[in-house]
Amino acid sequence: MATRSKLSGTAALEDIEGVGPQAFLASIVECSDDAIYGKTLDGAILSWNRGAERIYGYSAAEMVGRPVSVLVPPNKPDEVPAILERVKRGERVSHFETTRVRKDGEVIDLSLNVSPIRDASGQIIGASTTARDITEQKKMREALAERAKEILDVSTPVLQVWEGVVVAPFIGTLDTQRAQQFMERLLDKIVQTNSAVALLDVTGVPAIDTRTAQHLIETITSVRLLGAQAILTGVRPAIAQTLAHLGINLADVATRSSLAAGLRVALDILNLKISTQEDQAKGAHSL
Amino acid sequence: MTNQNISLVKVRNTLLVTMPADPDDVTVTTLQEEVLGAMEKYRPKGLVLDISSVETLDSFFARTITETSRMVTMMGGQTVIAGMRPSVAISATQLGLTMVGTFTALTVDRALDLLAHPHPRRRIR
Repeated sequence: MATRSKLSGTAALEDIEGVGPQAFLASIVECSDDAIYGKTLDGAILSWNRGAERIYGYSAAEMVGRPVSVLVPPNKPDEVPAILERVKRGERVSHFETTRVRKDGEVIDLSLNVSPIRDASGQIIGASTTARDITEQKKMREALAERAKEILDVSTPVLQVWEGVVVAPFIGTLDTQRAQQFMERLLDKIVQTNSAVALLDVTGVPAIDTRTAQHLIETITSVRLLGAQAILTGVRPAIAQTLAHLGINLADVATRSSLAAGLRVALDILNLKISTQEDQAKGAHSL
Repeated sequence: MTNQNISLVKVRNTLLVTMPADPDDVTVTTLQEEVLGAMEKYRPKGLVLDISSVETLDSFFARTITETSRMVTMMGGQTVIAGMRPSVAISATQLGLTMVGTFTALTVDRALDLLAHPHPRRRIR
């Protein structure tokens, strides 16, 4: 009585009084918030649920019999034919994110699932589409990406701490994108401030893995190529241990355990000395 | 047509060589020949290679520079590479063209300073 596998979950429905299994399922489709519509293999709309009316703005009377391509924005003429081709081959199209045009002209973001509809003999006779409105979701995703970018901008500052010395504090972990941005910022700042020394401070780096270590080495190398000297500061025992375990040789890189110690080295390179005002008064020569 | 001219000037006891923007392989090879020729003629204490106009650095260029630097050292001079652009430094690093053993300076000015007063701590350490 029921068509093969499609209504396989309906055994329990036969017990519900006054409602046949097919009518029950039909009402589920009708009440869904998602757009659910059936079409022929040529793309002509056969059925159109309430969710579709709401999402697309067209009533069922307006859509049944019309080609689904009226919903497609003009810049995607090949999309529907391509989807129908796959369905004709028995394929399902899942979570296909695309755009469609509502009756009022608004362009919306949707996620489509398109499956073949088969008759009793198993022949594919049409396609069924479920479309979920993901406009809100997409907006949130984009806002999140914006936020992430802002955090990125904020957390990779490069500061000039003295004439000729810049400090770049690493905060948090370094992924490839941050590392790249960090390197560019640092090198630009060095050129801009005509600095001779760059202090790369890793006090704020909780864990250092191979990739982060690699980025660090790359940064130090590019600073050197530019013509400034890089000093790695804030190397704590945990980091030193990890670097040693990773077999990374920092023999040709100046390192210090604290930023202050690094600054001392920087001043030395610049031939500068800090003296107290008393020393000055006593006539000691400095700077 | 890009200007492929290398400018080579003797300033006091130093050779100042300025590379054009996009040096092709011929220009790079010419660089080495001209430098060695000038080294012989003038016997300068140092060579400043100004690459501040160079926008791209390929492996041939990097190798030739490193080689030339070594040759200059063998002839009793000291090479400093000046004015590498940040974008070039980043690509060079990522390509592994690190030119180990060469001295570098932010500007030609600094390079001349470095040659005049070699600071022991300025060594790449």
